[in-house]
Amino acid sequence: MSVAELKERHMAATETVNSLRDRLRQQRLLLLDTDVAGYARSQGKTPVTFGPTDLVCCRTLQGHTGKVYSLDWTPERNRIVSASQDGRLIVWNALTSQKTHAIKLPCAWVMTCAFSPNGQSVACGGLDSMCSIFNLNTQTDNDGNMPVSRMLSGHKGYVSSCQYVPDEDTHLITASGDHTCVLWDITTGLRTSVFGGEFQSGHTSDVLSVSINGSNSRMFVSGSCDSTARLWDTRVASRAVRTFHGHEGDVNTVKFFPDGNRFGTGSDDGTCRLFDIRTGHQLQVYDQPHGDNEAPHVTSIAFSISGRLLFAGYTNGDCYVWDTLLAQVVLDLGSLQNSHDGRISCLGLSADGSALCTGSSDTNLKIWAFGGHRKVI
Amino acid sequence: MSLEVATVVEDAAEYSFAMEYHGPPITRELPRAVPINVDRIPVAAVVSPLAFSDNLSLPIVQPISATDIIGKKLSMDLKLSSSSAELLTVSPTSVIAFESRNNEVSEGSYSKELGLGTEISVSPSSVGNALDEREPENCHSNDVCALSGELSSDFECCHRDGGVNGTNERGYSSISPDNSCELGGVGTSEALGSLDSFEKSRDSSGSLHKSRLSSGFKESLDFNESNRTDWASNESVLSMDYLSSRVSSRKFGDGNNESGCDVRRAPVVTFCDIESDDENTNEEFTRSEPEVVRAKKEPAVKVKKGACYRCLKGNRFTEKEVCMVCDAKYCINCVLRAMGSMPEGRKCVTCIGYPIDESKRGYLGKCSRMLKRLLNDLEVRQIMKAEKLCEVNQLPPEYIYVNGRPLYHEELIMLQSCPNPPKKLKPGNYWYDKVSGLWGKEGQKPSQIISPHLNVGGPIKADASNGNTQVYINGREITKVELRMLKLAGVQCAGNPHFWVNDDGSYQEEGQKNTKGYIWGKAGTKLLCAVLSLPVPSKSSHPCGEQVTSMISRSMPDYLEQRAIQKLLLIGYSGSGTSTIFKQAKILYKDIPFSEDEREQIKLVIQSHVYSYIGILLEGRERFEEESLNDLRQNQCSDGSALAGHVDCNGEKTLYSICPRLKAFSDWLLKIMASGTLEAIFPAASREYAPLVEELWSNPAFQATYKRRSELETLPSVASYFLERAVEILKPDYKPSDVDILYAEHVTSSNGLSCVDFSFPESAYDDDADSGDLHDSLLRFQLIRLQAKGFGENCKWLEMFEDVRIVIFCVSLSDYDQFAIDGDGNAVNKMLLSKKFFENMVTHPTFDQMDFLLILNKFDMFEQKIEQVPLSQCDWFDDFHPVVSRNRPNNANHPTLGQLGFHYIAVKFKRLYAALTGRKLYVSLVKAMEPNSVDAALKYAREILNWDEDRPNFSLSEYSIYSTEASSFSH
Repeated sequence: MSVAELKERHMAATETVNSLRDRLRQQRLLLLDTDVAGYARSQGKTPVTFGPTDLVCCRTLQGHTGKVYSLDWTPERNRIVSASQDGRLIVWNALTSQKTHAIKLPCAWVMTCAFSPNGQSVACGGLDSMCSIFNLNTQTDNDGNMPVSRMLSGHKGYVSSCQYVPDEDTHLITASGDHTCVLWDITTGLRTSVFGGEFQSGHTSDVLSVSINGSNSRMFVSGSCDSTARLWDTRVASRAVRTFHGHEGDVNTVKFFPDGNRFGTGSDDGTCRLFDIRTGHQLQVYDQPHGDNEAPHVTSIAFSISGRLLFAGYTNGDCYVWDTLLAQVVLDLGSLQNSHDGRISCLGLSADGSALCTGSSDTNLKIWAFGGHRKVI
Repeated sequence: MSLEVATVVEDAAEYSFAMEYHGPPITRELPRAVPINVDRIPVAAVVSPLAFSDNLSLPIVQPISATDIIGKKLSMDLKLSSSSAELLTVSPTSVIAFESRNNEVSEGSYSKELGLGTEISVSPSSVGNALDEREPENCHSNDVCALSGELSSDFECCHRDGGVNGTNERGYSSISPDNSCELGGVGTSEALGSLDSFEKSRDSSGSLHKSRLSSGFKESLDFNESNRTDWASNESVLSMDYLSSRVSSRKFGDGNNESGCDVRRAPVVTFCDIESDDENTNEEFTRSEPEVVRAKKEPAVKVKKGACYRCLKGNRFTEKEVCMVCDAKYCINCVLRAMGSMPEGRKCVTCIGYPIDESKRGYLGKCSRMLKRLLNDLEVRQIMKAEKLCEVNQLPPEYIYVNGRPLYHEELIMLQSCPNPPKKLKPGNYWYDKVSGLWGKEGQKPSQIISPHLNVGGPIKADASNGNTQVYINGREITKVELRMLKLAGVQCAGNPHFWVNDDGSYQEEGQKNTKGYIWGKAGTKLLCAVLSLPVPSKSSHPCGEQVTSMISRSMPDYLEQRAIQKLLLIGYSGSGTSTIFKQAKILYKDIPFSEDEREQIKLVIQSHVYSYIGILLEGRERFEEESLNDLRQNQCSDGSALAGHVDCNGEKTLYSICPRLKAFSDWLLKIMASGTLEAIFPAASREYAPLVEELWSNPAFQATYKRRSELETLPSVASYFLERAVEILKPDYKPSDVDILYAEHVTSSNGLSCVDFSFPESAYDDDADSGDLHDSLLRFQLIRLQAKGFGENCKWLEMFEDVRIVIFCVSLSDYDQFAIDGDGNAVNKMLLSKKFFENMVTHPTFDQMDFLLILNKFDMFEQKIEQVPLSQCDWFDDFHPVVSRNRPNNANHPTLGQLGFHYIAVKFKRLYAALTGRKLYVSLVKAMEPNSVDAALKYAREILNWDEDRPNFSLSEYSIYSTEASSFSH
């Protein structure tokens, strides 16, 4: 069989795959007779209302000198780690708003950071294609720098996102610009499994975000520049459990819904979407029309503890609070008094759901608490 | 080598080649250059100084339009306020007269107030005009030169206020500055507000502030009128250099402020009337302790004494934390709320970014008990660290005068980081004896001996320590105490000698060579010094030479590091030689370019590469063997069957055949390579196979293959460098040299990025005027190399490099006939891929307004290649038609084909860049293998950054010369 012939067959096969995909989408659309918002409205639900004191900025964490790129809470709720363009990780006490650690990174171009479940160490990754683990209990050296306690090297592209497997301090999942996700064993520093890459069912472009299912830590979802999100089972590295199409731009961020059966995505096409992992359907699109201007990209999302609210940061500086049921914007954090000056680049909800932390390109982080007499939602 | 470079560059400077015209024939007339008649060129006539008589009216730009506007706006108020009229009657038309009259009236009271007045000054935001006083007499000594016209008028009116009301309301002056001088863009409203608040607190009549204001304006306007002639003469000088708005503000300053002006330039006009007055105040000021120069930032709220500033509770016995800036005090419940996360230490949230109150400098980094109770250890440590190290809390260099000159930033760093820094450095006037290291406050005896030979401040003055003994040490008249000490130490001081004292205490008389003794040589002297509270050299003082060199290598505090580092981003399409340039920079500027670990790593990489090269050769050998066998067979067939019998018995042996043992090795190696596990196996197995490689290398078949290596496309061009030395390299004790590392591929971290911090070493042959500057030696650079892989359309993280100063884009010149597989699987010319990548980078939003330096690399290979392969191999270069003279070689004035090609490509890229951005592209020619060439390119990048900083000073024409003659840069 000649090369030309092979190429031809390959072309034909690709064609078939695409047409099948198209049919699948058609079929899905046919089956999708309603979305969450439509159903909720028919049930007579009303959107959440926010009073002026219901969500207030109660702390401002100042100390970074560059744009804040990423943040993460400890499970025991009172500490935050943030990563910034100034090449530092800062660990904050959210209650006193003080720094407890300022770690100067060997590679300043950090993109992501994560707290370990026991709160003893932090992980970060960036353009150096490594995931570095710092043990917060180690003594700093003479120059005041904290030594790296473990380097996880093996990615061939930048590390865009990392998250510890819940309740396991020794396992960590990273997403990378080399189109793969990797499950690491921190004690040995070796890769336990690689998701995607050589395997055809993997992402076909840079993976930008991962989120691990809170109720079943074997499942995780990844979002990529190929405008898809994929669901993976850590026991089956060879192929993705499911691929979620729908977005028309890079999927910048994915986050599991608190119940673990759904997940949300945010994308360059300016929309957030909610997908169901069991059916593979798209449940809802959260889209705010922006006139004829190009829609601002979604940079980061987070769900409230009940899942009723979806917080989404946009590149134009907005930070909408969506009612997930009715798909309506109920509040714009960016327009509130004493909000950030710059765009909000990362969001995180504390584990008990009582506070939201936002990191911004104005170098500050802010903690927003649900005030008033409102129950935590 | 360097010579060669030099000639190349010289050539480049001397010629430029015009391209042949290929367009359609021109129908219209070509414009001809008209010869210039030198006599007819208009020249500026010399202005005769006599032209400015007092009554000559010259057209002038009306100064301070803003004042006029405000004045108009306020004219209503003017009319309405009755008290203003009263004040106006007091003031005559000329402000000078007014001032003098005012002075006359209240001479006595002013003298008393002088001390009071000097305590106050400008708010921290207006750093430029640090000298600002509220005394009526001193009104004209405020420095408004740097301000815009509007602001200066505001200032003026406030000060006038002080002047007018100074006699009856002393307290006013102490309050107004913080508010009215908040500057920024504030206008009159701000001043009004401040006055308002003041008024309330002072309980004065409500209309008073209006009257003040209007009087202020009136006066400033009057002032303009009365001094018009002076300005006219002034303007004739100024208006040539400055924009009109600047001129007007300048003029205003001139009129008011003799002292402020002559700091900047020689005065053109002299105001006899004011000057005498000014000189005094100025003198007064510099003599006074500059500690008082800065205003205190007042807390936002006024509370009763002792209470917490936030909850307003508590008394003076409750424990409180104090803001380092505004002196606000907070109780334990409020401190965290009021001070937030304390990114700069203990400051109110509103005070963040403001310099601290100098009187509290001693408390920096010293934690209170309250904080310790409130926060845990780690948090406290972070706060104290931030407090001590953050930039805004550092000593402001402009408030430290050494030998009568304010320090620059770098000088202060040097002073503080020297082995023996002055203790408890506070803003103030100091003298410093560079030779002996003696250090003291101006007008006082020495207080300490610091490291000598620091290049800070001006030359020491004879009266620095205000001595009157007529005995001089290093040009300073010493004090009586010192003289007594010298006498007791046994130094002959008869006849008012001039001594020359070195830092080790050895002294000699001026003009004489022999050392007369050591002042601090005897133990008794030290004791004596202690009794007289004179300093003695500290034990830790080192020989002087060491100190200066160690200065640079000292680790700098964090905040300095952040500021001083200049980031250079090095990118290029894969194979363009960025890694070689990066390695070269490492070798050039680092003392230890590669650590032992790195070298070990590199050694393994090189070894495994050598195996892969051998593998490629062996593969080629099989092919050649097959080919030659085929040839042989065909030959035999054509020769006829007569010899067939012979062929069968020895026909399998050709030039390329090897013995079975090597054959087995070869098969095995090829199998491993095919399976892609070469890296996993090889460096480890190298000990075992090294002897085999030795045998293989000496094998004639292998050598024959090696001779035909140019036919093997997969073999990289550097392979021969390593293969020649394969036997040596594969030995276990092989240590890669710097050159080996330069040649080796994939030894810099293959994924993502690598960066190296360096500073250009000061070298003797560096003939740049400014390179010897202190500033430059502290300048540190960071070269960041990014792998081209991963720069897709979705390159989101490029914005992380928005803080780089310049992008160095690397293109391999020899790529023009090479092909690479692009994303769609098509073979595309590598030069075109490079071009596409270049376009992507140049138009990337992150690099908007970024300077680009194009490095055209691999010129050495290009020069060879262009002789054989025409440049038009690449579609982009199809219109390259060089004019090549017959007797080309050995003629220095004629550029070689390679140079022509380089210029052509450089122009191509420049045009492309100009079309995309409308700016100029800097181009540098580099042979990455040659250290000098890389050094020159990086220095060129530094020059570009320097130009960038002085860009406003460059006229356009100068600028374009630099950018077009880019390649003429050399060392």
